[in-house]
Amino acid sequence: MGSSWSSSSNNNRRRNNNYCQNPSQLIASSSSSSSSSSSYTHPPSPPPPHGSANPPPPPPIYSSYYSSGGYSTCNYPNPMMGRANFGPNYPNQNNGWAGIRPPMMMMVGPPPPPPPPPLPPYVDHQQAKKVRNDVNVHKDTLRLEVDQQNLDHHLVSFVFDALFDGSFTIFYFAKEEPNCRFVPLYPEAYMPVKVPFQKGLGQKFCQPSGTGIDFNFFELDELSRPSSGEDVFPLVISAETCLPSVSTEEHLGNPPPSSFPHMQITQAVIQRNNEKAFHVRVVRQILWIDGVRYELREIFGIGNSAPESFKDDDPGKECVICMTEPKDTAVLPCRHMCMCNECAKTLMLQSNKCPICRQPIEELIEIKINSVDQ
Amino acid sequence: MANSNLPRRIIKETQRLLSEPAPGISASPSEDNMRYFNVMILGPSQSPYEGGVFKLELFLPEEYPMAAPKVRFLTKIYHPNIDKLGRICLDILKDKWSPALQIRTVLLSIQALLSAPNPDDPLSENIAKHWKSNEAEAVETAKEWTRLYASGA
Repeated sequence: MGSSWSSSSNNNRRRNNNYCQNPSQLIASSSSSSSSSSSYTHPPSPPPPHGSANPPPPPPIYSSYYSSGGYSTCNYPNPMMGRANFGPNYPNQNNGWAGIRPPMMMMVGPPPPPPPPPLPPYVDHQQAKKVRNDVNVHKDTLRLEVDQQNLDHHLVSFVFDALFDGSFTIFYFAKEEPNCRFVPLYPEAYMPVKVPFQKGLGQKFCQPSGTGIDFNFFELDELSRPSSGEDVFPLVISAETCLPSVSTEEHLGNPPPSSFPHMQITQAVIQRNNEKAFHVRVVRQILWIDGVRYELREIFGIGNSAPESFKDDDPGKECVICMTEPKDTAVLPCRHMCMCNECAKTLMLQSNKCPICRQPIEELIEIKINSVDQ
Repeated sequence: MANSNLPRRIIKETQRLLSEPAPGISASPSEDNMRYFNVMILGPSQSPYEGGVFKLELFLPEEYPMAAPKVRFLTKIYHPNIDKLGRICLDILKDKWSPALQIRTVLLSIQALLSAPNPDDPLSENIAKHWKSNEAEAVETAKEWTRLYASGA
């Protein structure tokens, strides 16, 4: 299995994407598969474009998933991901989806930097970078259960997949610090609990009895939302694998940043329903791999787009426009995957609105899923 | 000829319309022009059009699916959003068209419009006025027209 990913843009942001990534920078991807879903992420800064005839891209003015080159994808299908996701982000920045969109590059005052290269053809094809997720918490399985031996306390449970042994750390009211480190704001009320796990797919994790939390310490309102800067979440689960992920990336003089642990962070809020039971809602998941922070985002409609199972007469997998080709292109910012790349290009010249939700199309991402590994 | 180079999408939509018709709706292409459909919609139950069989014509323009199909009632109908020429006031046939919509979804929307007349966005001023000033009477007129013009004879 291999995947590639390209994007096109109808404005000048595309010039930041106008270079080729060296294919040797592909990171090895996991090959086992137990799930039909996948994840798409991409790194916040482009790697050096060696081997490319094109000039290096100008440094991004705004760090965002638009202005950076090289989307990266996990292998497809990836056993480690609950759902399809993409999009990187940075700690301690405005993390809202809308907030990471850079403003249009309108320059006032000083003259603009060198003119952009000639407009490339509609879709810039890029070699995707794949990242492997060593551990995944299935975010839709996250629950809070009453500790039967201590009825005032709640314990966390969820289902997870792990390719290596590692540990979970459960934080309440943890603040995100640089390098994806988390610090509890109220250690006197709850000290983070670290619980080891062993590798394996589809495991159920139950927090050990006696290590739970008494929510009476906190206001319901406080539990129900992140801090205004979205750097403190009421519940944070950090999953860390013991073995740093080994990548096949050639570093060309740079030491491999393998000293970073490989983590998946799940950030959630806690709400109380009518029956006075607490329940969890996952707000965000983050990957921390080789010192790069990726924020996971879902792509709607990707689950039924795998081409090996594409049949000519399957309405769920075909492009909604030509109803002939398999869909392979997602629309940004709304993240609807509903078209083939040819129809997507045509649509950009026409209405330029997402066929599903009618939001203006800012960018297209082509997600090619090849049946042969590259 | 219009039938040569018919896009695969139109062929597929036609096949699916014929093999799995939507309840209360039939659409079949004309023999000499595969972009022209003869349509029949049954008046929805609990609407003034119940019991009626409404004929429509539907044409897929060259730009379809980037442009909306052109649809018109052939059967006379008393409805605030349909004028005396059979033209239909429906947003998805105009500015709210999306290429993800299909012949089937367009016809389902028209069927739903029969169940939910919207006199606040009228195409027939007089019928809309009638609807707003005396709805019971307007509904009676619609039922009468259904009997007169859409009895399926």
